[in-house]
Amino acid sequence: MNNGHAIRLEHVSKYYRRGSETVHAVEDVSLAVEPGEYVAVVGHSGSGKTTLLNLIGCLDRPSSGRIMVDGRRVEEAREAELTRFRRAAIGFVFQQFFLIPTLSVLENVNLPLLFTRRSDDARARELLDMVEMGHRLKHLPGQLSGGEMQRVAIARALINSPPILLADEPTGNLDSLNAERIMLLFERLNQGGATIVVVTHNVDIVKRCGRKVQIEDGRISS
Amino acid sequence: MTFRKVALSNLRRNPVRSVLTGLSLAVSAATLSVALSLDRGYSAAVTDDLVNRTGVHLYITKEGCPIEAASVIAQGGLSPLYVDEEVVERIAELPQVGAVLPFKLFAVTTDDGMRTDIFMGITEAIREIKPDWRYRSGGWFASDSSVILGAEMALIERLEIGERMYSEHFDREFTVSGVLERNYSQDDGMFFLPLQTAQALVGRQGKLSAVAIKLNDIAAMDESRNLMRAMLPADHFVIGSKELSDGILQFFGSTRAIMLVMVVVAVVISIFGVVNTMLMTVLERRREIAYLKCVGAGKLDLLRLISLETLAIAVAGSAAGALAGAALSPLSGNLLRGFLVAYIPSGAIARPDAGIALSAFAACTLIGLACSIYPALRAARIVPMEVLRNE
Repeated sequence: MNNGHAIRLEHVSKYYRRGSETVHAVEDVSLAVEPGEYVAVVGHSGSGKTTLLNLIGCLDRPSSGRIMVDGRRVEEAREAELTRFRRAAIGFVFQQFFLIPTLSVLENVNLPLLFTRRSDDARARELLDMVEMGHRLKHLPGQLSGGEMQRVAIARALINSPPILLADEPTGNLDSLNAERIMLLFERLNQGGATIVVVTHNVDIVKRCGRKVQIEDGRISS
Repeated sequence: MTFRKVALSNLRRNPVRSVLTGLSLAVSAATLSVALSLDRGYSAAVTDDLVNRTGVHLYITKEGCPIEAASVIAQGGLSPLYVDEEVVERIAELPQVGAVLPFKLFAVTTDDGMRTDIFMGITEAIREIKPDWRYRSGGWFASDSSVILGAEMALIERLEIGERMYSEHFDREFTVSGVLERNYSQDDGMFFLPLQTAQALVGRQGKLSAVAIKLNDIAAMDESRNLMRAMLPADHFVIGSKELSDGILQFFGSTRAIMLVMVVVAVVISIFGVVNTMLMTVLERRREIAYLKCVGAGKLDLLRLISLETLAIAVAGSAAGALAGAALSPLSGNLLRGFLVAYIPSGAIARPDAGIALSAFAACTLIGLACSIYPALRAARIVPMEVLRNE
């Protein structure tokens, strides 16, 4: 495999059982993402785009094929190794923000550092300033709007300085104004060198991404 | 950011549920604390009564079973077998013996069964045998119809020195010659009569319930006992006061078993409560936990987080329960006193102390912590992809 890619999938398939049925979520997918690329993965519901994102994010293992992320073969790595790898190399942003409701904005951003036994308030503040949430450090998630929560979630995804950012419908719960702010934020991050893969239905995001990957019935169609 | 901070913040999500879970452990800790206080307290009270404070080292009885004898003597029941008075002189001649108290003990229950009076026929040797035999007023018997009242009985009968007490059962009047100082022993609830008077009242002249013996040298107790056994007829028993108290404590075994069952039931209910609550908190936070695994939380991290949450509840609940148990123990002791079928000691039945409170706290904290294992494992086993895909 080519070690120069940020992400590379070779003939990756993923099947899983749903009751008595075998679902072919991803079928013989090969994909290469260069460092610093901004890629939109689009497709209908059930087309396999979230499964593809989970495979790239080392949250799932392929049934067959090979996956390399940030220079590391991951498909056969042990669970503990994948946990450490995710911690260091990948930031996740989801449609639901998954902020801890009883922790402040600053504490939520610091949360991933808990698992590396360190805390970095300065870095968290810097990231919150970057996402224009520096004025609400002490607020609880329940006191924030959806857009604000997503910006906090993005800051949290970046706290470990991961080279790769994976986002699953990051603007799915937001109004157009807040969606625009998130898109601008992603563009700035990408301009700063981050590799970003976004699963989305949002046409505006797709237009602004450097590359679009269309997935249909588990296969890449364009 | 620390695990402790995150764990404590998670408990604030549903404070009512956290408090109720802590309360279930508090009930366990309190029950355990009370049970231990009663168990230890009863043993200590019986030993105090029958060993430490009587001054009696040995008893001579003529009962078939030493434990039965212990019960009869302690409860003041009328035994069909008696020790002959002639034994007293023979025993008193032994150089190892410091004092010999022959006594006649019997109980009289009113026709309606509402009251039982315990009478004890004694000689002056009682003053040598009982170190705390002191009069609040009056003194020794002035005549065959004199009575000395225990402090509690004087209070109940509202009698003072020189006043007369009529016994309907015996159709006889007695004159109060002395009232004892309260010494928080069986004596407080007794009527003391001259030995011959007591024997005559029940038609057993020359017969004794038992003989209490004080030795000159307690270290020679075994030797003295063997000597007495050898010189007495085969159907006489020589019982040490420790054996007497041990015999009574055996009767307490059934009460102890009931208390143990109560503790076990309380603990089992707590275990179900804590496991159920922690499992609910894990299941409610499946997606959040899945996200934590996405960002690098390992299995041990999640085990630690859930265990810390449970530990916080367990520490608070167990501490509150152990303290509440210590506070409630005296009340429980008074309650238990009314239900005891074996010997009822005069001193406090419940004796809480720091050691018992700490033991209850530690046991319930560990139980609470153990309850976190299954929910924590469930959290650690969450597969992020499955949760995020299916929920």
